[in-house]
Amino acid sequence: MGLINDNPENPFKEAIPGSPAFITSIDKVVNWARSNSLWPLTFGTSCCAIEVMMAAGAAHHDLARFGAEVARPSPRQADLLVIAGTIVKRMEPLLKTLYDQMAEPKYVIATGACAISGGPFIYDSYTTIRGAHEVIPVDVYVPGCPPRPEAFFYGLLTLQKMIIEGQTIAKPFERRKPVLSVLPPRIKLEQIRDELVKNLTARSVTDLNQNPKELGL
Amino acid sequence: MVTLNDRISCHTPNQDGTTTQEYFINMGPQHPSTHGVLRLILKMDGETVNDIIPVLGYIHRGIEKKAEAVGYRQQVHLTDRLDYLCALMNNWAVSAAIEKALNLEVNDRIQTVRTIIAELQRIQSHQLWWGVFGMDLGAFTPFLYGFRDREKITEIFEKTMGARLTMNYFQPGGMMYDIHPDFVKDIKEFIKYFRPILKEYEDLFSGNIIVQERLKNVGIIDAQTALAYGATGPVLRASGMPLDLRKMQPYGAYSKVNFTVPVGTVGDSWDRYQVRIQEMYQSLLIIEQLIDNIPDGPHMTMKYAAKIKPPAGRYYTQMETARGIFGTFFVSDGNDRPYRMHFRTPNFNNLWSILKMAPGGRVADLVAILSSIDLVVPDMDR
Repeated sequence: MGLINDNPENPFKEAIPGSPAFITSIDKVVNWARSNSLWPLTFGTSCCAIEVMMAAGAAHHDLARFGAEVARPSPRQADLLVIAGTIVKRMEPLLKTLYDQMAEPKYVIATGACAISGGPFIYDSYTTIRGAHEVIPVDVYVPGCPPRPEAFFYGLLTLQKMIIEGQTIAKPFERRKPVLSVLPPRIKLEQIRDELVKNLTARSVTDLNQNPKELGL
Repeated sequence: MVTLNDRISCHTPNQDGTTTQEYFINMGPQHPSTHGVLRLILKMDGETVNDIIPVLGYIHRGIEKKAEAVGYRQQVHLTDRLDYLCALMNNWAVSAAIEKALNLEVNDRIQTVRTIIAELQRIQSHQLWWGVFGMDLGAFTPFLYGFRDREKITEIFEKTMGARLTMNYFQPGGMMYDIHPDFVKDIKEFIKYFRPILKEYEDLFSGNIIVQERLKNVGIIDAQTALAYGATGPVLRASGMPLDLRKMQPYGAYSKVNFTVPVGTVGDSWDRYQVRIQEMYQSLLIIEQLIDNIPDGPHMTMKYAAKIKPPAGRYYTQMETARGIFGTFFVSDGNDRPYRMHFRTPNFNNLWSILKMAPGGRVADLVAILSSIDLVVPDMDR
């Protein structure tokens, strides 16, 4: 996770000597500890920072329940980069620097539509980066504009699960596939869509199935 | 080409005969107390800030250019992302500009509900400011208190609008939905809850000697300079200029209510703090006067989803948000998209007042000054 390591001579990539059983049990302990003590970097560029970094960290929602309340302003002390807000071309090299300054192992959560794909600025904007993954590798995506604090917590729990299952001491920096933390388990996208259409038709004054031309569009 | 080095004056003689050299230090864009991605280049002599150069553009998303590519109804969604702490007031300003262009009169119910919601948002914005202000001065408790009470307003908004931060609620011609049945009851409960809490805020923070020492006579700006720099809102009112559009050009239901505009005398950080605290009391008063008699009527006076084509011309509307005057100017050529859209955002103009406030003070004072201006960086860069 974290760094995509192209350099085969990286000293940290060496396998650790010892019996497999010993390494596996060490893995469990290390990953459990890492997943429950994530230190986020206070990095917010726009609207998502209020919901994800501030409202989530304050008394009502309380990030401390998940062990991630120690927000650090310095990237040297943080191991979780929460990209809260739009990334524009001018910010791109700085985001890369911040990421490079963080110590391994490091994890990235991209919150909000802007950090995932450019969001409302995906069209007709000459500055916005279309998604933070164009700059740095992202582990978990949390959609929303901005996402609710609860959605962020779900993303954080997904990341914790990834850490517990993911990285091993024998193969450090192994990167797993990005996760979209949108749907709670056992809920399908079709169910949500059907429910939305049902609610909209029940409450709306306009007919969703009618010809758009009649509305003057 | 003039470089930063040319701005340094070497060998400033001190009283004891030694000399010092000025140097530059970079603050931001990743800095906890610039509230976003604002970058400041500070010219320092020891611990004293001698000059300050703001560098913008780290969250410039090209909203004004994008506004030319989307229809009038979609402009509302873009204004949410400018000053997200006053999202609804921005929505109102752009809706009012379009209504003005269309010569559309909205009914009393819409005006009253808009006014109540705008005042609630003002309280909500000041609560967040109060919490973050405390955190910048080194106290964590105000942050927890401020957000505890901010959640109460967020819940009221969420019931009616279905969103917590970017609501897109005010539309040209009215509101997206009618208010929730519990709206009046919830707000009354909130006022009852919040008035003693506001006293508690003052007991906890305003009376603290450390807070007073760090704010009083720090970052002074006089009214004429603030006006010349284009500062509005609490920054200008703290200098003693009672410029408030709610009083001077009443819009919405503000002409029906009684309230006073709190002003400061000195124009230091302490006055800006006091003005905002007093504004919360006044907002509660305004809501109390309106909440009991919301007139009946439809919540929308236009056909939903109809394409808006204002007649060709130039239109400007301005409103008082929690940070100052938010203006919307657009040029229409008769099409369904504006020819040019411009937002006069309060934060951009308020920012430049630090050029007068900060020099001569210490770095720690600069943090307090920045927080007392209450900047929202995406609103500056747009």
